Amino acid sequence: MWTVSTYVLKKKLSGNKRYPLVLMLEPLFRCSLACAGCGKVQYPPHILKKQLTPAECFAAVDECGAPMVSIPGGEPLLHPQIVEIVNGLVARKKYVYLCTNALELKRRLPEFTPSKYLTFSVHLDGLREHHDFAVCREGTYDIAVAGIQEAVKRGFRVTTNATFFDGTDPNNVRAFFDEVMGMGVEGIVLSPGYSYDKAPDQNRFMGRARVRRLFRAILSNRKPSWKFNMSPLFLEFLMGDRKYDCIPWGMPAYNIFGWQKPCYLLQEGYADSYKELLETTDWSAYGVPSGNPKCANCMVSCGYEAPAVIDGFGTLKGFWGMVRGTFSLYKDQHAQKLLNEYSASGAAPLVQIDEPVHSLEETNV
Amino acid sequence: MTAEVLKYTLEQVEALELAPGAQHEKLEGWVPTLATDEDLKQALEKALDYRGDVTLTLKSGERIEAFVFNRKSGATLADSFVYYFTPAASEKRKVSYAEIARMEFSGKDRAAGKHWEDWVKAYNEKKAAGEKIALMPEALE
Repeated sequence: MWTVSTYVLKKKLSGNKRYPLVLMLEPLFRCSLACAGCGKVQYPPHILKKQLTPAECFAAVDECGAPMVSIPGGEPLLHPQIVEIVNGLVARKKYVYLCTNALELKRRLPEFTPSKYLTFSVHLDGLREHHDFAVCREGTYDIAVAGIQEAVKRGFRVTTNATFFDGTDPNNVRAFFDEVMGMGVEGIVLSPGYSYDKAPDQNRFMGRARVRRLFRAILSNRKPSWKFNMSPLFLEFLMGDRKYDCIPWGMPAYNIFGWQKPCYLLQEGYADSYKELLETTDWSAYGVPSGNPKCANCMVSCGYEAPAVIDGFGTLKGFWGMVRGTFSLYKDQHAQKLLNEYSASGAAPLVQIDEPVHSLEETNV
Repeated sequence: MTAEVLKYTLEQVEALELAPGAQHEKLEGWVPTLATDEDLKQALEKALDYRGDVTLTLKSGERIEAFVFNRKSGATLADSFVYYFTPAASEKRKVSYAEIARMEFSGKDRAAGKHWEDWVKAYNEKKAAGEKIALMPEALE
């Protein structure tokens, strides 16, 4: 927290308006799962076999200067030099979030060294049946949980990360939070799904009104045991309590193709450097105010958590909101009513194709 | 509202219940007619979004099977470049728009035909039969 707050304040004092907070470093696209809805791994085999070298990873991190590095993919643990990459980033005092489906985690853990700079962010989309259904393979939940437990036992920092799509039952998600916190993880990371252009299906994605309604139902009336590894202000944004404009340069993506334009989600070209990305992207063409349909459903952290963090550490009002949000349980009768509506409608434990429409107001703004 | 909408108002965006998403053309096997500069530019834009390899035939006669991932546009075709990876080479390569004589969407569309509904149907069937089910990544060789 101290590192990020001083970083934001330094950038603010220097008058720098566009800077990265988290580098989304994708060292490869290859994955050990074949999730039906995934929009990240739809490439020919020769592309899936390519990977960034450690030197390329370090050059990208050094150039952009972000204090945090998230390593998604693909599955990073399939990269033969992932340990070297992680160690190099930790040596640079970068806070590393290695995002993994954890199929290989337990086996690979002895190769890593616990550090305050290293967190394993394990993909878990829900309770056992829901998770296995979401990632299209039975048994993955149990393997991932075994990996989490071993990592916690060995002293590693561990969070879980979940993506929620249309049809998600908030009651089920809340039960999932109870179970995850019982595993000893530091916190939970969550996100609404985004309609990746390259995803096979394009009809599973919530619009902003539905996202706000779902997350308001999930995140209001919290239990004290729940911890979130995200900005409280970003969670309030998801719940409809705050409005932010997307700042795609705040969490830029770098992969085998280069610096992705304009963001982690859209692929509208690549730049050879972060500097070139900043200078050659027409930022006015993206985000909600632009009217760009490709940005219409997006409330994803790679665009909206950076402004929440900057608000939290860059303004007194934002800082107070962050402090308040950290300790609030977000009591909300309307949200409780929405949860009850889901229960009464007999919502299925798994994401379904068609689900009842819940009509409660979805925003407090 | 549909995916054909070119621009949303703020009110429309905030009221969206479902996101329309992209509509993918069936491009596998397509050989675009490149009669004009605009034809070429449009075909290359489609190649950028394509989830498989394309074959570029250059005016020199050379054929390049490649995954096209980027383009940088200049004032003319000669100073506009398309960037690609080939199965055989490890490094990125580029070729000028002006050198391209023919294109074919020759590689398999890696996402076509994979539908969430198919997975749900298979899952329910296997569950009813008391069997386990798993989707596995395609072999890379």
